[in-house]
Amino acid sequence: MSDQVQQRLTDIGPPHYSKFLPPIIKENYGKWKYHEIPRPGVLVHTAESGAKLYSVRAATPRLLSTNKIRMFAQLAEKYSNGYLRFTSRNNIEFLLTDPNNIDPLIEELTALGHVVGGTGNSISNMVHTQGWIHCHSAATDASGIVKAVMDQLIEHYKNMDLPAKIRIALACCLNMCGAVHCSDIAILGVHTRPPQINRELLPKQCEIPSVVASCPTAAIRPSTWDGKPSVEIDEDRCMYCANCYTVCPSLPLNDPDHDGLSIWVGGKVSNARTEPMFSKLAVPYIPNNPPRWPEVVDAVVNIIDVWRKYAHKHERVGEWINRIGWPKFFKLTGIEFRKEHIDDFKHAGLTYKRSVHLTY
Amino acid sequence: MAEKVSVSEVADAMYKMIKDTMGIKKWKATDLQKASIELFGADRCDKQICKDAIKELINSGRAVYTYFGGSYIEIPHDEGAKNI
Amino acid sequence: MADQKYETPLLDQLESGEWPSFVKEIKMAAETNQMANSLLGLLEQSYEERKGHWKHGGIVGVMGYGGGVIGRYTDLPEKYPDISHFHTMRVNQPAGWFYTAEALKQICDVWDRYGSGLTNMHGSTGDIILLGTRTENLEPAFNELTKLGFDLGGSGSAVRTPSCCCGMARCEWACYDTMALTYYITMRYQDELHRPAFPYKMKFKMSGCPNDCVASIARADISIIGTWRDEIQINQEEVRNYANNGVDIYKEIVLNCPGKCIEWNGNELKIDDSSCRHCMHCINVMPKALAPGKDRGATILVGSKAPIIEGALLSSVLVPFIKIEEPFDDLEIWELIDNMFDLWCEEGKNRERIGEFIQRVGLGNFIEAVGLPPMPEMIAHPRENPYIFYESFFEEEEE
Repeated sequence: MSDQVQQRLTDIGPPHYSKFLPPIIKENYGKWKYHEIPRPGVLVHTAESGAKLYSVRAATPRLLSTNKIRMFAQLAEKYSNGYLRFTSRNNIEFLLTDPNNIDPLIEELTALGHVVGGTGNSISNMVHTQGWIHCHSAATDASGIVKAVMDQLIEHYKNMDLPAKIRIALACCLNMCGAVHCSDIAILGVHTRPPQINRELLPKQCEIPSVVASCPTAAIRPSTWDGKPSVEIDEDRCMYCANCYTVCPSLPLNDPDHDGLSIWVGGKVSNARTEPMFSKLAVPYIPNNPPRWPEVVDAVVNIIDVWRKYAHKHERVGEWINRIGWPKFFKLTGIEFRKEHIDDFKHAGLTYKRSVHLTY
Repeated sequence: MAEKVSVSEVADAMYKMIKDTMGIKKWKATDLQKASIELFGADRCDKQICKDAIKELINSGRAVYTYFGGSYIEIPHDEGAKNI
Repeated sequence: MADQKYETPLLDQLESGEWPSFVKEIKMAAETNQMANSLLGLLEQSYEERKGHWKHGGIVGVMGYGGGVIGRYTDLPEKYPDISHFHTMRVNQPAGWFYTAEALKQICDVWDRYGSGLTNMHGSTGDIILLGTRTENLEPAFNELTKLGFDLGGSGSAVRTPSCCCGMARCEWACYDTMALTYYITMRYQDELHRPAFPYKMKFKMSGCPNDCVASIARADISIIGTWRDEIQINQEEVRNYANNGVDIYKEIVLNCPGKCIEWNGNELKIDDSSCRHCMHCINVMPKALAPGKDRGATILVGSKAPIIEGALLSSVLVPFIKIEEPFDDLEIWELIDNMFDLWCEEGKNRERIGEFIQRVGLGNFIEAVGLPPMPEMIAHPRENPYIFYESFFEEEEE
């Protein structure tokens, strides 16, 4: 046993990144001068030394098989001396030094089903969460909606034909592993009903004190049912975070008939021109409709089509809405304005219109 | 100055705290630290000793880290979600 | 064991269309991996029923660590025994997500041997996500990964895997070495990363410039965003080239400047840098003509998070400007960060992110406790209400 313990490595941290940098990057580290985008999906970075690095960017579904990663590795060996990277939005980038390799690489990537693009004023890849692939609290799937939405928007990934960048993100419940709350367009899975209590199983599967303690809003209190320990849920206080279900599998929250999606618009994280902004509610609820969620796809495509028709150059969705005002946003997109749009959480008063700056 | 308490002594005390309250209280690392410093006195026990004691508890297998919407330290047990 | 073939008419519909298909990925893995095959069956059932079939585990992990493994069990173990356990391993990515083909293939070898053959490149926090394995495989997979030089990332109430943009490796706008600082922070906090000892999660994200490509201002408890404090570098010849090649400098640059500090007379671009907000817009539009200044560093912000529990927050300024230069051991921010961790551990509630903690106690009290002076850069505007707590009055009383 002591042998095993001695051999065991811990706290080594990640490999040092310098092991994975191509020579051209090591030589020009911190000495890049400018970059250009000669065509969608291709970035050319020029160093002070005059050296040029060509990055070819392609989409991935984020969920990748080892088979596919090996294919990417082979392409990297063939075209970029084995060097590649991933971006913060799940794109893959091959780091080329020979511009003659760009065309054949793009050809092979396209044949493999990985569209090249996502640069400049385009729609980059969507960031998203696990959904039904791996999550216990998902109100919807993630990968399937991303696929359906991006199939429709793919021309805007391939072409830099938009007024500005647009960042779309999807999270399958309010926990937002994908922190979508500052996206131009956010698709957010929502539960709309509190957990069901399986009173038969609960005393066998769960510790009551843990369940009570798990609720962030203190909506759960201990009780007895048929002589057995149980819990009661103050349904008005529940915000559907599924933390109780995390602790106790007898409190399932997933509900096919009431789970669904909401759509949020106008967020950004970049400081360019305007300060970072949160996304705001556009569509309160759309039912789950797999496998291709047509209502969600239509809603997203509609918002993008209206935005690109009316926005000024460089205007992100939120900047455009701030210029034209929310009444016009609802009018132009045809989205119905409802009670749910009016905030009733903390500091809601700050979101009311407190001037007569209105357009007619 | 009072003599410092040993790491193993603190680990044993922590183990007892966890065991005695199983099913009633879930302990976080900071809870164990605060309780141990209170038990032994701030002149005999400090944060580093507590940190080392937790490491000893975990590495010896007497306790494990668990995650239920936050990280806890518990006596090893089967979890409710597990499929046997 | 006979390989069961699942009919997946709903998922099959997600194989068509030009965007890369995750269904194709699962099917590819399913040809040789029984876990991936079962996942197809389970996922098809989720699509039919419109609900997920996973339960959350909270105990499984590797020896000695309190994070890096996310326990998962299906709620249909009889029907899908191969994925009755389907745990995820979070593997700490190399800074900037750079790889060699060789390193990627080695990770694939490990996951073909011990897991489902499915991954996420990458998870939301930045880790390599290895999806789906059984409890008994965790320890051997971990041992093989560490032999290759990879370690697990964070989960639970711990420092989470830090992440960063590609910075100086491939960006002329990087105002400090994001990858070097990320590696340093990851190594400095190995213990806090693997052994959860905080009230809740703690994320660091490093962005090289105010474009913030890793969304650090929205997604990190501690956001370190590159900036500069001298003059934007201008190449007038290249400005004129942009103007001649279709950039409407007045409309696109001058009118969009938040500091209203740019003038253009058709020949020369003038910037009043004392009013520059460091937003990056003019530099973004004309990267060959403009560049951040030479006196570069970073702004440190604190507190962003997603909505649960008290509502979403953006990070707010703590340190308006600091030079980020090697040796990183000498940077003054570690003492500040240690003070913040101590205070938050002492006073923070269970599951309270540091941003929520600051909201609860007030930024003024927070900075006082961690040893920072009040600075106007920390606020959007001073208070609007007159309910001032005059501490001097109470201090007099005590005397």
